[in-house]
Amino acid sequence: MNTREKLEKNKMENKIPAKDRIIAWPRMGRIDIPLKALVVSLGAKVIIPPANSNKALEIGVKNSIEGICLPYKLNLANYIQALDKGANTLMMFQAPGSCRLGNYTKMAQKTLKSMGYEFDMVIFDMYQSKMKQTLQAFWHVTHCLNPWKYYKGFSLGFNKFFAIDTAEKLLFYTRPREINKGDAEKCYDKWLKITDETNSVWEAKKLKKKIIEDFKKIPIDKNKEVPVVYLIGEFFVLLDPYTNQNIEKELGEMGVEVQRQIMFSDWLEHVLKPSIFYHRESHRERSVRYAEKYMKRAIGGECIETIGDTVYAAKHGIDGIIHISPFSCMPEIVAQNILPKVSREEDIPVMSLVLDEQTGKAGYITRIEAFIDLVKRKKQKRLKDNVNLLVK
Amino acid sequence: MPKHIGIPRAISYYNNYPFYYGFFKSLGIEVILSDKTTAKTINDGSKYVVSDTCLPIKVYVGHVINLLDKGCDAIFVPSLQSTGYKINNCSKVRGLPEIIRNILPQNFTMIEPTLDKTENIDLKNFCKQTANAFDICDEQKIKKAIDEGFKVYNSFMEMTKAGVCYKEALDNAINGKTVKKTIDIVKPISVAIMAHGYNLFDEKISLNLIKKLEKMNVKVYTSLNVSFDEAIKSIDEIGEVQYWANEPELTGTAAYYLLNKKVDGIIALSAFGCGPDSLMADEIYYHCKERRVPFIHITIDEHSGEAGFVTRIEAFIDMLLRKKRNSIIKNADLNKKSVAPVINIKKEKILTTSIK
Repeated sequence: MNTREKLEKNKMENKIPAKDRIIAWPRMGRIDIPLKALVVSLGAKVIIPPANSNKALEIGVKNSIEGICLPYKLNLANYIQALDKGANTLMMFQAPGSCRLGNYTKMAQKTLKSMGYEFDMVIFDMYQSKMKQTLQAFWHVTHCLNPWKYYKGFSLGFNKFFAIDTAEKLLFYTRPREINKGDAEKCYDKWLKITDETNSVWEAKKLKKKIIEDFKKIPIDKNKEVPVVYLIGEFFVLLDPYTNQNIEKELGEMGVEVQRQIMFSDWLEHVLKPSIFYHRESHRERSVRYAEKYMKRAIGGECIETIGDTVYAAKHGIDGIIHISPFSCMPEIVAQNILPKVSREEDIPVMSLVLDEQTGKAGYITRIEAFIDLVKRKKQKRLKDNVNLLVK
Repeated sequence: MPKHIGIPRAISYYNNYPFYYGFFKSLGIEVILSDKTTAKTINDGSKYVVSDTCLPIKVYVGHVINLLDKGCDAIFVPSLQSTGYKINNCSKVRGLPEIIRNILPQNFTMIEPTLDKTENIDLKNFCKQTANAFDICDEQKIKKAIDEGFKVYNSFMEMTKAGVCYKEALDNAINGKTVKKTIDIVKPISVAIMAHGYNLFDEKISLNLIKKLEKMNVKVYTSLNVSFDEAIKSIDEIGEVQYWANEPELTGTAAYYLLNKKVDGIIALSAFGCGPDSLMADEIYYHCKERRVPFIHITIDEHSGEAGFVTRIEAFIDMLLRKKRNSIIKNADLNKKSVAPVINIKKEKILTTSIK
């Protein structure tokens, strides 16, 4: 048996009959809302573990090895919490061949089994994956044969993904500009709740439009001088508000517009849609194109995206870059080594923040504040220079 | 194009240098090696990379700087992406040319071939890329060079497998000689070390671990004593799936010695912050616990205090000795042959007992 066959074989376990399955998956930001819609439409029961918190981290740290990265610890804690609540099927999205992520399930399986839990592990392989494999995995989980249910599930899921991403983008735009503090946040929370409760495809398709309309109603100061900062780095840390200490909110409240290039729906669409339906240049392809001067090959993880986005940002008048990664993340360390040169040559301020389970919030905020001061000053200077040029 | 190439004495040097040497020599390219690792090499390297980077990469950068200081302007920085379908190296090893290109301000030619079997770029292609960088496009010549490289590499592997130590085997393989291991001295304790070649065989990084152990009268087995096929087979037998390119060297070696019960303990040596090692050491720890074999995981970084390092190893070896003594006493008890004298058995006596 070669490695390829072994990889395929280890992917799906089948001990529990489909009708008894109670499914759980690790938390990452908001992905539970659309995923829940999808799996529930296929007729399966789900359990959502509580959102990542200090307690979850404590459980994760206690049961995992010292040298592993932060996302694994949180994933493991989510599994344990879900199993305690009664789940018996665990799902995991992974991409083997990139970094330690490909080893997560193997380790989690071993750890959980040695703790005495009984469960099935189903792995969704996102590395050069096709729609067919994904459908197979979902069939394996739910044993649902009704095509209408699949259509309903996928369109609900996708539309919810798009709705949440739209709400997030609008939140980033509105938060630094809002006149009454807290309006945007309230609106965002409201729509998250509505998105979660929406149950028909028809309603879900209209969500995006409604969200845009509702955000337009928030009074904003359109003339305010707002610096724009790109948030780049490792996928999990970017998308999970607990892990990144809610950096988006902190920045928004400092009067900075955040833009994030990695959106879950973009990534999912690129991964799942067959290539004949996907005409746009994907985020990854764009990154490879922009990073060409600095990197000639992809080395796993989100390293090439990090470099590509930085160059892209510099070429599109973005004021600064904040690069976040978990401690000892291998691809991001390579990115960190390359970033100073990119920053120098493309003339864009870059700050790298490394997060681990002991990151103190005060020191973190101080560093962000200092960086934002620098970005603001640089922007003012550039504006002044432009005015001087015009006067001459 | 230059007619010489600089090879840094780090990372892939430790596993592949015999091949590189044979290959370049056959092509008529002079090989310049960097000096051995010193404290200065590590300091030079640390200046250019971010602090989170692991020690081997810092050492690598130090060696590249050393080569540049020597006046060598063509440096061989291979990117070994994957050695099998979806069997990848660590990101930092994959991205070596990327790191070197972007952190060093000096001007030099970098020869950066890629080996990526997931994308069907095999060793032949890798060698072709290298040769093309020197304007050598003659297929026949490249093929001959590859054969020549393997000849040196195979003789090196043959010697190390027979038990010749790393340095001796390397010197002899390069000079085209084959030596045989003279006498195998039986030692009371034997350990297997699971570590990357670039950590273990670099005397500065590993703080001369092998010599230290041999001084303590311990027989040391390393990845060089296990052939690639045996290592792969052992990984299978112990119930793991190969994921990292370096896995035969680490998990494979440890699993091989765990399975044939040849050793009393296993030492894992890894650099601080090493991603693959953290997982592989954990896997082996799990199996050691099941089989009740002592295991120690030693982490090193650029300011490893030698005293603390020695203390830990000594304590580990002491523990192995005590365990062995106890088991001998127990076995003697079971045999009921000589009950009285074994109680008074002394440490010196056990030291001279041979292992079965």
